[in-house]
Amino acid sequence: MLIYVAKRLVAAVATIVLIMAITFFLMNTVPGSPFLTERSTPQQIQLANEKYGLDKPPIIQFKNYLVNYARGDLGVSLKMQEGTPVKTILFHQGKFQLSARLGVIALIVALLFGIPLGCISAYTRGRWLDSILRVVTTIGIAIPSFVLASVLLVFFGVKLGWLPTISGTLPNWQSYVMPIIALSFYDMCYITKLTRTTMLDAIGQDYIRTAKAKGVATKWIVLKHALRNSLIPVITVLGPMIAFIITGAFVVETVFSIPGIGKYFVQSVLNRDYTIIMATTVILSILIIVMNLLVDIAYKFVDPRITLSSTDE
Amino acid sequence: MKKGLGKFSLFQVDPDKVWADYDITALDFEAATVEEKEDLIEVRKSVSYWRDAARRFKKNTVSMIALFVFILILLFAFLGPALIPYDYENQYRSSQKLGPGEYSSQEELIKSIEDEVDCMYATALQPGSMTALDPHDYYFKFKGDTYAFTLDQKLAESVIVLQGKDLSIVKNSQINNGKITGSTPLSYTSEPSDTAKELVVVKSVFPHIVGTDSQGRDLLARTMYGTRVSLIVGIIAAFIVLVIGSLYGSISGLCGGAVDFVMMRIVDLMYSVPDVLIVLLLQVVLKDPLQAWFDSSDSLISNALSTLGAGIVSIFITFGLLYWIGMSRIIRGQVLMLKKQEFVTAATALGASNARIIKRHLLPNCVGQLTILTCLQIPSAILLESFLSFLGLGVSAPMASLGSLCSDALGSLTVFPYRLLFPGTVLTILILTLNLIGDGLRDALDPRLKK
Repeated sequence: MLIYVAKRLVAAVATIVLIMAITFFLMNTVPGSPFLTERSTPQQIQLANEKYGLDKPPIIQFKNYLVNYARGDLGVSLKMQEGTPVKTILFHQGKFQLSARLGVIALIVALLFGIPLGCISAYTRGRWLDSILRVVTTIGIAIPSFVLASVLLVFFGVKLGWLPTISGTLPNWQSYVMPIIALSFYDMCYITKLTRTTMLDAIGQDYIRTAKAKGVATKWIVLKHALRNSLIPVITVLGPMIAFIITGAFVVETVFSIPGIGKYFVQSVLNRDYTIIMATTVILSILIIVMNLLVDIAYKFVDPRITLSSTDE
Repeated sequence: MKKGLGKFSLFQVDPDKVWADYDITALDFEAATVEEKEDLIEVRKSVSYWRDAARRFKKNTVSMIALFVFILILLFAFLGPALIPYDYENQYRSSQKLGPGEYSSQEELIKSIEDEVDCMYATALQPGSMTALDPHDYYFKFKGDTYAFTLDQKLAESVIVLQGKDLSIVKNSQINNGKITGSTPLSYTSEPSDTAKELVVVKSVFPHIVGTDSQGRDLLARTMYGTRVSLIVGIIAAFIVLVIGSLYGSISGLCGGAVDFVMMRIVDLMYSVPDVLIVLLLQVVLKDPLQAWFDSSDSLISNALSTLGAGIVSIFITFGLLYWIGMSRIIRGQVLMLKKQEFVTAATALGASNARIIKRHLLPNCVGQLTILTCLQIPSAILLESFLSFLGLGVSAPMASLGSLCSDALGSLTVFPYRLLFPGTVLTILILTLNLIGDGLRDALDPRLKK
């Protein structure tokens, strides 16, 4: 167990270094410089390059990144908020917290609605409620998040006027509603579909028949026997779900004007603010990788049949 | 089966009795008639893999409806632009920001004249674009007659109408309550001079069914072109994934051992790279070098790619770099299973090279899997492209994709919601139908997977 976790941690660090290398390589192949504007002279660019160490050979620059990151120093912004430490921008200005709050709530909402809906769907298989749920979830995994977000905005924000069209820094509960729905809808539908499938799978098993033969009430069979076993595959999708919510955040934060990390990342990519791109990529990658690791370990605890020794799927 | 058993039970076999005790002679049997003999012959012809799959697919009502809707979308995207007189890049002055079915003042003018007199309007450009006419000799054909006239001065914002046999030029301000007043008569000759320009004759104005955007471009036409772009992107990207993923997976599976180990560790590593972050970066990084290459190079490939634009080509590159992983894993699994089978051993024994085994034996046996995976890759590629275009990467104006149309509409979402809802709906339906077709294909091609 410990060996497995240690192995995975080493692999995770290797992956993060790889991601840093890819990001660095990509940023450096872009012609031009972050300091290039209409008014800047070659001398100014030269000075700025020297100031931020961009005149050094790439390999030294990359080494500096690695050393500084290992020390927890994320550097300073080159362009968007010039001179401000990246850490201050991302964490002390509340960007990361804002996105994290939205993401965590969206994740919880997706699980809290997805699993029971999946159970209901499996429980009422073939009846009208099941049919409705299946149609909704099928559409739900096809609708792009930005279309859903915009539809919500137009309908509830503009036509009905119930909810604010600009969520901003999420001052009240009304401003949460639409971003959360837009962020969690895909995952909720996916979990509903998955729970339904695994639940139906579980219902066909022998131990369910045994429980039925013993005279256990159907409600308890579903809750205690079938659900527990059908939740295992649901845990495996938690990892990809995190990645999906981060992706969704790019769009949802743009649509609802939320100054979070997703929106800021897109802006920093468009502005070529190298240090911010690097920091955001690394933070989000760590988030995804750690989540995947936790999911794999949780998987082991939930289902003792799974061995962790092999790294193959 | 049941019938046979019934017949058999008529004999009432008693295990204690011997056969002879029943006292059955040859006379007790009847010769089978021709029909009865034919009944026993296997009537069902042998069915090929694809025919069998097609039969199963046809039974799947949902998938068939999805296929039908998908064909409608294909017609919309590829045939639609030929049916409406607008295109995706022409900006119609004075037709900006029109709602669905609305007409600009110019078009209203034309329509009112249309109702009032037996006439038409003619412009040097597209219908609806009432740009200035330069002083020149013009001619046009109407109801079999040729009309030619000379224009002495530059005319802006005006329509040329034919009332009876009189040509007149109508200015915007000269329309009152649908009546033409104060139109300037214009002399005309029936024979055009050698240098005369032809005017496009239009008898009626085609409505902007879903309105126009802030630049005065027809939104229906843009959505049609956008759907086309999205479809092309999806299909090409899925094809790239198919080629790379199947080759990588089959090589890894067939070679096995250290090669397999290294190749799969690379896949594992790439699997944990957060793709969307890298994709966003790649988009920005690749755009300028690609554009520079398009501008400098004049080869066939670069010309073909430059019509698609740097944004779309970098999407292809992204897919080629990152999205083959899932495909390669599944194909490797299949190959691992297949390579132990006798026909592969036989091919090896006969001296076939690895390349030949992959090409001739392994991949054809994975064709069902490959079809399903490729089909499911198309909607995900379309989704990624629209996502990138929505964030302002991907295709660049005046080219449109469904995602960039939604992105353009976002700024004025509260005022003109239909500008986003229309392409957004088309996009959702497109992805939905492709998902359903993919599911149907999976059930049809690989019945074992059916839950």
